[in-house]
Amino acid sequence: MNILEVEKLKTYFFTEAGVVKALDDISFSIPKGSTLGLVGESGSGKTVTAQSVLRIVPKPGKIVGGSIFFEGEDLLPKKEGEMRKFRGKKISLIFQDPTSSLNPLFTIGEQLGDIVVQHMKLKKSEAKEWVIKTLKLAKLPDPENAIHSYPHQFSGGMKQRICIARALLLSPKLLFADEPTTNLDVTIQAQIIALLKDLQRDLGMTLVMITHDMGIVADMCKWVVVLYAGNVMEIGPIDKIFEEPHPYTEALLKAIPRLDQTKELVFIPGNIPNLIDPPSGCKFHPRCQYAKEICKEKIPSLEDIGDGHFVSCHRWKELNNRG
Amino acid sequence: MADTSKNKESGFSMKRGVSQWAVTWRRFKKHKSGMFGLGMIIALLVIAALHNYIAPYPPRPLPGSFTPLYEGEAGMPPSLKHPFGTTVMGTDVFSEVIHASVYTVYVTFLATVITMLLTIVVGLTAGYLGRHVDEVLMRITEVFLVFPSTLLILVFARIYQLKVSEPFWYIGGISIPVGLTIIIFIVSIFSWAGNARIVRGEVLRLKETEYIQASKSLGASSRWIMLRHILPNVLPQVIVLATLTMASAVLVEAWVSFLGFGDPNTITWGRLLQESFNDLSTTWWAEIFPGLVLFLTVLAFNLVGDGLSDAINPRLRE
Amino acid sequence: MGLAKYVVRRIIYMIPLVIGISIVSFFVMYAAGDPIQIATMGNPSITEAQRQFLRNYYGLNDPIPVQYLRWLDHFIHGDFGMSLYGGKPVNQIIGSLFWETSKLQLFSIILAFIIAIPAGVYSAVKQRSVTDYSVTSVSIFGISMPVFWFGIVLILIFSYHLGLLPSAGAHGAPSLWPVFGIRDPFLDELAHLILPATVLIFAGLAWHVRLLRAGMLEVLRQDYIMAARASGISERKILYKYALKNAITPLITLLGLEIGLMIGGAPVTEFVFSWPGLGRAYVTAVSKLDFPLIMGITMIITIMVLIANLITDLAYAWIDPKVRLE
Repeated sequence: MNILEVEKLKTYFFTEAGVVKALDDISFSIPKGSTLGLVGESGSGKTVTAQSVLRIVPKPGKIVGGSIFFEGEDLLPKKEGEMRKFRGKKISLIFQDPTSSLNPLFTIGEQLGDIVVQHMKLKKSEAKEWVIKTLKLAKLPDPENAIHSYPHQFSGGMKQRICIARALLLSPKLLFADEPTTNLDVTIQAQIIALLKDLQRDLGMTLVMITHDMGIVADMCKWVVVLYAGNVMEIGPIDKIFEEPHPYTEALLKAIPRLDQTKELVFIPGNIPNLIDPPSGCKFHPRCQYAKEICKEKIPSLEDIGDGHFVSCHRWKELNNRG
Repeated sequence: MADTSKNKESGFSMKRGVSQWAVTWRRFKKHKSGMFGLGMIIALLVIAALHNYIAPYPPRPLPGSFTPLYEGEAGMPPSLKHPFGTTVMGTDVFSEVIHASVYTVYVTFLATVITMLLTIVVGLTAGYLGRHVDEVLMRITEVFLVFPSTLLILVFARIYQLKVSEPFWYIGGISIPVGLTIIIFIVSIFSWAGNARIVRGEVLRLKETEYIQASKSLGASSRWIMLRHILPNVLPQVIVLATLTMASAVLVEAWVSFLGFGDPNTITWGRLLQESFNDLSTTWWAEIFPGLVLFLTVLAFNLVGDGLSDAINPRLRE
Repeated sequence: MGLAKYVVRRIIYMIPLVIGISIVSFFVMYAAGDPIQIATMGNPSITEAQRQFLRNYYGLNDPIPVQYLRWLDHFIHGDFGMSLYGGKPVNQIIGSLFWETSKLQLFSIILAFIIAIPAGVYSAVKQRSVTDYSVTSVSIFGISMPVFWFGIVLILIFSYHLGLLPSAGAHGAPSLWPVFGIRDPFLDELAHLILPATVLIFAGLAWHVRLLRAGMLEVLRQDYIMAARASGISERKILYKYALKNAITPLITLLGLEIGLMIGGAPVTEFVFSWPGLGRAYVTAVSKLDFPLIMGITMIITIMVLIANLITDLAYAWIDPKVRLE
């Protein structure tokens, strides 16, 4: 059973410089209760994917086509008011930077309590108990006092625990975690990853880890979707992907970060292509070490190669001796 | 996200080279209201340069004279002969507005130069040298900000007009109105403080950027860094502030004159408004037209300022 | 703890500022010339002996620093001296003017602020819509419009042409009270207030809306707003609770300065509408060079501005938990 099925999703940003095709016809699905890794460099469309599912793509972005089925229901035709009942309640999102994703002028209790009140129509006092309970779940020390504090009074790791609690308030079925450890100290990173793993197991949620870190993917995920420049490059179970990767995934794998490196990867030669005027054919071809004439000319399609493994590459079969 | 890579490229340039200015200009050209403002400013400059040819009637022979100029035509409503009508004194409003545009340009130019010099000197030294210099300069700035400057401008203007012994200086055949020049200085002295604070903030931000830190560690002198790295980078901001200063300078001179504390020997737009204010119920055109021209001029500078700041920080528009 | 202490400290900090401003104003004026000479210039029948008598009476024969110290001594005791005209004490003149100016200014500042909030928020949310374009163009018009000229236009239309509203003063005589046929002193005051307040509101509103719109645009792209949206919080709550509180902080900081600008701008508005307030009295005092009155009004307005700044800072600290009152 798939909890989420994304079909031919297109999300464009209509900027002054031109139309940025942040997601250009992507399709994938997520099995219920699993942990999926959504992988790619920055600018590949990972974050926009999560935003599109929640339908909170910021201006000047717009979902221009496709469908998003959540538990069999298409989310895109839904009215704004109906959609709001999904956000935070059935589908949640943890942001990359806990500092910027907490409102600096409101107490933790106020910010989290409002979410409970919004969805559950509870009284303020009942919402407060609820928030404390969830903060405990996220292993935030002293939650009774924490709800009266402001974000700046917490460390980065504590703030991320608060953000995790915020996402879990209403026990969502699907949780997107958008690079939840990128802005944290290395030692804190491991704690947060462990917390997310525990919570996913204990609550039986479906977890989507958005990351560029193949190490985290290997550690947590059963399934992987690899995005590049708004296209799906590869989908598959983790072992298949490590065994016989797409050329782009292969490059990512070689770039598993060292411990001291917390920023974006720079190891793959070349840059993310300009999405206003993307390269012809396979968008990865200018940076691909295996690229040939056909890669420049023809857009490859996502091909099923068995065992739930899909690859979008003209040369994959040849490179992996699959005739 | 999609446009972060783009921001990195433009935000990290060392200096605003020629191309950077070209990009800004290209963006500005797309800004319709900004271009409209620029057009109006150019029109103002042309009118000021050719005022003797454009105005149908000559300026008043003696600036202080109140003798009716065109006898039998006092207090006439707008007509083909007098597009803006005539005043009770019998002067042609249209001609006077055209002649006064020269002083508008003079006020704008001189006040902006003085204000921006003070702005740059204070903002740059306070921001860059920091510590005690910053402390002292910012205290002074603060005093200027809380000063009831609009009130003091009036007192200063009134008192220094008493000291003017000759109405004009003649430099190379050009007559420069002394009283007006004094007012420009007074206005400028009370206008730099807010600007300087903004420039200082910008300098503080730039100081922390990697390339300034790098050139410092390479042993570049303070003066070199300030002139070669910091100044070119705050320049866009300074230009925006300068345009806004132009707008406010025109406005401040106008209301000083309107309240009757302007240069008695110079006919400016504010002075025209002051002269006819008591005849508002009869010769309304003598108030409406000079005021409209004043409004359009201030609007033009503000529109250009807006257009420039959008062109320099496109992020604010998106 | 510290609120009372903070306020006291801020007031102490204001003292040198107030004294500094008084020194500058005093010396600039008194160094310019003999006020008696200037004041009596138009009166040929006055004799030199009478002038001398007046100089002695006002203590103008002493050196300027001595005069200043005497002024300061009186000022500390709440006495601004005697006006050079009419022989009334400055305190007495200022008293009633102060009320009229405060009435006009407070009414306008509060109303401008209240109108600015929905206009700024709406304009930012509907960025580039017709409403946004009209709000932004009206606000740039408001910024560029010479306040006194706008007043003149309003007088021409609403007083002279339509005959709806009074063009001058703050009150009418009882015989002039009927407003739309109703005889009522309150309505009469309100009718007098409308035109000058419109001018002030329009000028203030323009700045507020621009600032709030810019602040909202900045805040609306922050992660915490998207996070609130991702949590299913209603759009109204996001805008008016979560975003507005963040966007309004720079506005509050600037409000202090703006109150200063508005109060300082009082001379022009009051002059155009013959409003019996501090501003118009100031213009008259400056043209007559009534030094004690000029000093008095300058100091009152300075103190008003400083108090406005203090209130602003307190409001700022109340809104932003990161700001500590120090």
